[in-house]
Amino acid sequence: MSQPRVDFAIVGATPLARLLAGLLAGTHGRSVLLQGESHAGYRLPRHLDLSIGAITRPATWALLGDIAPEVRRLVTRIGKRAAVARLDPLLVARSAAGQAALGHVRHMAAAFGHAAEPFRGRGLPDGSSGVLLRDAILLQLTAADAAVDEWLRRQGVERLSESEMLTVHADGSGLARRGDQTIAIGQTILADDAALLAHLPQSQWPDLLVRQAASTVLTGAVPPLPARVLHDLDTGLWVHQQAGGIMVACGPGSTGTTARRLASLLGDTHRFEQAGQSGYTSLVTRDGAPAVGRSAGMGPDVLVGFGPIGGVLAPAIARWLCGAATPAESAWMGSHLVNRCNVEGAASVRDLGVVA
Amino acid sequence: MTRPLARLDPARSPALAGTAIDRARPLQFRLDGRIITGFAGDTVLSAILAAGIDTVGPRNDGPLALSARFAPAIVPASRGRGAQRPLSMARTPATDGADYATIGVHDSRLRSGRLARLLRPARSLGLSLEAPEGLPVPWRTMPGANGPSADLIVVGGGVAGMAASLAAAKAGLSVILVEASPFLGGHSRLFGTLDGEETPDAAIARMTTAISGSDAITVLHNAEVFAARAGVVRAHVTTLDDGVATASVVDLTAKAIVLACGTVERLPVFAGNRLPGTVGTLEAFALAYHYGVWPGQSAVFATASSAAYRLAMLANDAGIATRRIIDSRPRPQSRFIEFSRAYGITQTTGSIIAAAEPSRSGAGLDIVPQLASGGALPDSTLSADRLVLCGGWQPDLTLWHMAGGASHWAADSARLEPQGEMAGLALAGSAAGWLSRQACVSSGADAVAQLFGHRRVAVTERLLDPIYETPDAPAAIADASSGSAPAFLDAGQRQSRRMRVDQRSWLASLLFRTKPLLATAPEPLAVADVAASVQLGLVPAVSAGIVARERVAMVSLGGDESPLVADEPVAPLVPEFLAGRFGAHPTLWSIASGDGRLFEIGALIQPDADQRDPFAAVGVVVRADRDGAVALVAASHGEAGRQLALIENGRSTPISLVSALEGA
Repeated sequence: MSQPRVDFAIVGATPLARLLAGLLAGTHGRSVLLQGESHAGYRLPRHLDLSIGAITRPATWALLGDIAPEVRRLVTRIGKRAAVARLDPLLVARSAAGQAALGHVRHMAAAFGHAAEPFRGRGLPDGSSGVLLRDAILLQLTAADAAVDEWLRRQGVERLSESEMLTVHADGSGLARRGDQTIAIGQTILADDAALLAHLPQSQWPDLLVRQAASTVLTGAVPPLPARVLHDLDTGLWVHQQAGGIMVACGPGSTGTTARRLASLLGDTHRFEQAGQSGYTSLVTRDGAPAVGRSAGMGPDVLVGFGPIGGVLAPAIARWLCGAATPAESAWMGSHLVNRCNVEGAASVRDLGVVA
Repeated sequence: MTRPLARLDPARSPALAGTAIDRARPLQFRLDGRIITGFAGDTVLSAILAAGIDTVGPRNDGPLALSARFAPAIVPASRGRGAQRPLSMARTPATDGADYATIGVHDSRLRSGRLARLLRPARSLGLSLEAPEGLPVPWRTMPGANGPSADLIVVGGGVAGMAASLAAAKAGLSVILVEASPFLGGHSRLFGTLDGEETPDAAIARMTTAISGSDAITVLHNAEVFAARAGVVRAHVTTLDDGVATASVVDLTAKAIVLACGTVERLPVFAGNRLPGTVGTLEAFALAYHYGVWPGQSAVFATASSAAYRLAMLANDAGIATRRIIDSRPRPQSRFIEFSRAYGITQTTGSIIAAAEPSRSGAGLDIVPQLASGGALPDSTLSADRLVLCGGWQPDLTLWHMAGGASHWAADSARLEPQGEMAGLALAGSAAGWLSRQACVSSGADAVAQLFGHRRVAVTERLLDPIYETPDAPAAIADASSGSAPAFLDAGQRQSRRMRVDQRSWLASLLFRTKPLLATAPEPLAVADVAASVQLGLVPAVSAGIVARERVAMVSLGGDESPLVADEPVAPLVPEFLAGRFGAHPTLWSIASGDGRLFEIGALIQPDADQRDPFAAVGVVVRADRDGAVALVAASHGEAGRQLALIENGRSTPISLVSALEGA
């Protein structure tokens, strides 16, 4: 009896990993094994999934603009209306460098047709500036886990539990053990930070990647913020105020640092009580831009450094992995390869980054 | 209407006479304008409960019981309605003539006004409990004043904490022993004695005397530690100053800390499990033992542990009609059970509470049991003034988690247990998972040995054979469909409750596939909330320890001094994110427009006025102030006098490159 084989094994529990698995299987007809249970029902989130970010590169804005309507339709189909929200994130900065960066983000977003305007409301710390990015999409798939699982099943994605063994080979192929069955894997995709930290061998660790402490703080209810989503360019803090006034804040540093930065950002009018906190290791790129492709040019595919925009880019990544990308998508992926530091003459894609 | 006082008759119930109160010294105080009578030795809470007030207030789905674990903070009424010096009801000694106001989510004047007093139900404090964040705990957000230091802080004055304090003092260490209640000794009196053991009363008296006689040990009573990390704890300390209760928040520091916080009594999960009239076994015993308080004349016990039988017998002795003991274990064995049978107390085994609701007769509760394995017990509805609940014991790991300690789910005992060790911090007693009194005492001494590198003390659990003493069962979980009142996961300050499938409308189900997440529940999760969530399948057992640590109600005690914002007064002229944007060797140019206008940083520069494609941009403004503007321009377009177009807000403005910046 021949050994069963899948084209791709995806390791990861984020919306990007789960959407990618479903798209590869359903839209592109690949056989896919997904290892990674969503912990969204009971663990604190580690990032947001937005159609915007602190982005200064025109190619990234262009790609997001092309894909956002597609991903909105897809996610609405999976999780119905509540799985997608439209909102106006507010980017803020206090430092001179941060305020200058706000200008670059605003003008580049506006150049791609986004309504990006200086924030003239109240509620920011003295000396701060803000830019509102109108009509962004927030994916709320974490609240629709069961619907995503059902969609994955319908797309034909096979599942591997977290306790079952998955071995990644140096050439990116691999083996999975599911019960008594051994499954050969054509190519492994490490689709979130935890997957990279668990499976990428040190010999293939890209120079581009940096480990950093990061954390999430959940708070009790506070009065309404100036915007439902805030991003502090100076600290990398993302804040999402949810129904009922609670806040989820994610950013680099320890939980204490995130709590202090949140308190400093919001001031005395929004004193909060912590309702949860989580510290973890996250991966960022040295140049602040996302990275895709095979580690060391030959190993497993990695998806890293996307910050809030990974989920939205899932359809483009799926097409690229299957050789069906548009020219613009191919160009973007080609310039964001994870081994770009080692490629002479590679165009710089250095960006503000999506720090958390 | 005057409600009957809920005090036991000391002549009839010497074991539950109220060791702390002096019935010869009555007193009275005001709460939200209502006069409460009590005795010297009462706490504010014990006096209120004795006065027949058993309800905090209404939610839209029913009222919630007043208890030591769920009581509003209070503030002296004469100091206004603010929360400057908030007090805990359970830790404030009742004093004659005091005047307090409760602190609710909304202003308490609504509760003390004349009309409100007239309309307020006699049994209720009248606080609105609709807010999702629950009752405020004001001291949790107050900064800590510098408090005393010692070699060792011991949190918890039960037998483990007392033993730790004495062991440390014997080793020449200075000790601060912090105890939330007015007494040392903890809850070990409820659990009785094994053959050959010193009685709990004798052991507690012996250790209390030794502690009183030790110059090395400072005891802080009525002091609740609500935050901890290695080297420091933060406590809300209540003291009597010239007969006036006052409180402060202090940070206590020490080389090492022993957490002997005891256990949290698990709440069986069923509809109506926090209605007025329900009470936990530990609290019911403590109220009766220390203050002689026992509301009502009849009681039903629902338990997963043999300790409840002992309380049932003591209550029976005190004249309380013990209607039934409902035990979730199929064939429980215990010496207490044998005794209770001899008392004639009816016992139903293999059964749990399905639901409780306010009695149709107007007082007490109607209680519906079910088989523990599922399914109804026919014609079995009971009525009683009080429903005493015991869902077993969860080590109180709150401070351990807050300090960074790990835990894991122990499937055999259905509880979270601590995992690993931490520098400068150790658990002791039942908080460390020990069950028997002897093991708790030994573990207190061993915790000190561990922290200070002394010779370790052997800790041996001494338990009866399960044939004779059936171990505790997991907290009972009733069928989700029973009853209309909410089913809470824990009886504490938070209000996490079981979500029912039928609580969403068909329209909501049609429109939204999303569901409320435990992950973003607006309150912290107590350790017992997490334990219940594991039992309910909301949290996988393997993740229970992580979730418990993530969702602990953290209070930051400093120690993180990293800068909030990198505060560089001047931004670099060319930020790193512009690298390569305009070719390999872009140059910096001062730019000018014909009308002398100010530009905006980030505005794109196009080769001509018709070009809007951002990919075609040849430069960008990188500085713009009253001294002029500077742009980064592609080498291909960098020449003095070159006419270009600057795009701002969709409009094109002609500009010219004036001069290249030297050194750029």
